[in-house]
Amino acid sequence: MKSVSALISRIRGSEKNGYLFMLPYIIFFCLFIAYPLIFSFVLIFHRWNIVTPMEWIALRNFFRMFQDPLFARAIINTLVFLVLHIPLQIVIALIFAVLLNSAIKFRGLFRSVYFFPVVVSGVVVTILWAQLYNYESGLFNHILTTIGLPAVPWLVDPGFAMPSIAIMATWKNVGLYIVLFLVGLQTIPAYLYEAARIDGASGKDQFLNITLPMLNPTIVVIFILSTIGGFSLFIEPYIMTGGGPMNSTLSAMLYIYNQAFSFNHMGYAAALGFVFALIILSVVMLQRKVLETGDYST
Amino acid sequence: MVFLNESNGLIVKEKIFVIICILFLLSCGAPSDDSRDERTDVIRLTYWPAPNPQEMELADSLVKVWNRNNPHIQVRMQPIPVGQSTEEVLLASIAAGTTPDICSNIWPGALYDFTRAGGLIPFEKFSDFDSVLTSRVPSELLETFRSPDGSVYQIPWKTNPVMMIYNKRILRELGYEEPPRIYSEFIRMGRELAERRENDKRFDVWMGERDIRPIWWQRFFDFLPFYYAASGGKTLFENHTVAFVNEYAEAVIAFFSECYREKVFPRTFSHQQDPFLLERMATNFAGSWQIPTIRRYAPHIEFGVAPVPVPDDHEGPIYTYGDFKNISIFSTTRYPEASWEFVKFLIEADHDLLLLEIANQIPVRGDLLTNPLFTDFFNDNPDMVLFAEQAVYTRSVDEVADIKEILDALSQEYEAAVVYGRRSPAEAIQRAARRAELIIEWNK
Repeated sequence: MKSVSALISRIRGSEKNGYLFMLPYIIFFCLFIAYPLIFSFVLIFHRWNIVTPMEWIALRNFFRMFQDPLFARAIINTLVFLVLHIPLQIVIALIFAVLLNSAIKFRGLFRSVYFFPVVVSGVVVTILWAQLYNYESGLFNHILTTIGLPAVPWLVDPGFAMPSIAIMATWKNVGLYIVLFLVGLQTIPAYLYEAARIDGASGKDQFLNITLPMLNPTIVVIFILSTIGGFSLFIEPYIMTGGGPMNSTLSAMLYIYNQAFSFNHMGYAAALGFVFALIILSVVMLQRKVLETGDYST
Repeated sequence: MVFLNESNGLIVKEKIFVIICILFLLSCGAPSDDSRDERTDVIRLTYWPAPNPQEMELADSLVKVWNRNNPHIQVRMQPIPVGQSTEEVLLASIAAGTTPDICSNIWPGALYDFTRAGGLIPFEKFSDFDSVLTSRVPSELLETFRSPDGSVYQIPWKTNPVMMIYNKRILRELGYEEPPRIYSEFIRMGRELAERRENDKRFDVWMGERDIRPIWWQRFFDFLPFYYAASGGKTLFENHTVAFVNEYAEAVIAFFSECYREKVFPRTFSHQQDPFLLERMATNFAGSWQIPTIRRYAPHIEFGVAPVPVPDDHEGPIYTYGDFKNISIFSTTRYPEASWEFVKFLIEADHDLLLLEIANQIPVRGDLLTNPLFTDFFNDNPDMVLFAEQAVYTRSVDEVADIKEILDALSQEYEAAVVYGRRSPAEAIQRAARRAELIIEWNK
């Protein structure tokens, strides 16, 4: 009670114009964050197709979800994508960052070029890659068959489709992570390498014992960003495969989208989204616990 | 309409943004009480036609004539607001209570939601409804548009029967003057093209091509027309229960499976130009909208039109799927009688002729080929005769809950059995039926 009255007197004594300046963000927050979140939570317990009135169905959306083989499949597909995409992205980004951190010609040009795909629209990139991956007339298979190798069913075989999407997503996003790694590399003190060289450490030893440990905070950030980005996999399967072949690229986001905007199952989609958000939260917390190994900067 | 456009269309963020904008704008523009001008006693109606240029031109000319002849009932033509699909916009407007008085772009598959929301007026309430409709639409066809509650909420206005459009030159080079009529002929021609591709690597022509992605509306161009054809016009449901577990559905799945197994169709999809226009495809399953496209972009193509192939032992008329667009009156109208008068005006024979001439679309009329009013048009456009003949043997989708999700389930089984051969036709049909039953059950 005392603290409430202290808060009220604090507000009374504060500069009122400050609240006025905060008002645009407060309105934005209420309209576009708080209201949709609260509304989504209410939807979880309802059946609603936008047109007919909402119908209270308690936990039936969850009962349906746990019997829904497609949602389980979508979660597994998303995890498969993460397992393929994150290591690929980190390894490639690290290799290019190390190269671009060394004294090579046209370093600035290369740094820009590798960043280009990040700024290009995801839809445009996806449509272009769908052309490249085309089984009958794509450039990749044309090159392969020209040199005598068999054509690869990039997007038309359930075993190849998700790895193909992971390769494309890596190409699209790796530029951003190269920049993050470059920042990390440039903060490593030069004297550490100098001391290691005096002690006779090889390049490999320096990389394993100085570069990698010192990059740990960057790796954690990239891991978490990639995980969150990977969980939101949507545009690529939506445009390239529609979730096929045989649901092998049906991501959780695509499934939620289909339920909400193709079939108008707003309540069910909200319940799926809620559970999916909990899964993302758990995975990210687990990652932080496993990956954060301490501070090497001191 | 969204599912006739085989490109990917708008992407999600845009789509969500559009829905929000539509809801917002519609709510801002909620109808005020000014639909009757008190001073002049003029009733004002709002009419939404499809937003494509041809139908807007048609609607504009019809509304001008109506307004000239009916000074006390003035109609305002306003194309359906732009959205991902007409159904989406109409759903949003029903939710916002901002529907027009009349709309002529109602897809029967969306009717379940519209009627459940109480959004439409049953036409039986108009005393002359029966006589007006039966003089225009064959009664057997009209019955397929009756809702489960026994009422008719939509007037069948126009349709685009899905038929087989074929490239005469390609078939002639194979030694055939006539298009394939039955499954075995289709497969035989496709195999011959496959052999030619094997022998000549530069030759890249296929018997047909379908987008293999499991997208629900893609079934309007393969499974549904072929199933309606094979089954003699049976649709997927009967009295709201699944009715497609039968030998016809299995035959269709088996036929398309063979098409992929025998390399009659490529196992791919393309975002590039229509392969039929590039003459890389001997046949295409499409509606009459394809004809102006061919004439405009590939006038050199010598093409013909035929019904979709049927099982070898098929007898009787050949039905197909048709993309019907119907007329409904929304329950928000304050003037149902005036709206009905305008609807009757829209479906007069003279105006159906305009529909043919301006929009190149087939009116749902029983007398299309016997009424002398249309003779000149069909003499000048012989390609359209087959579509007109087919129109009465055309079926739409059933008015059941979640028809899109049911077609999605069917698409997934179709993909597994047809494209990848992972399931037998019987297994695929049974699995699709089980999922359809679950979806129906969920909606009870």
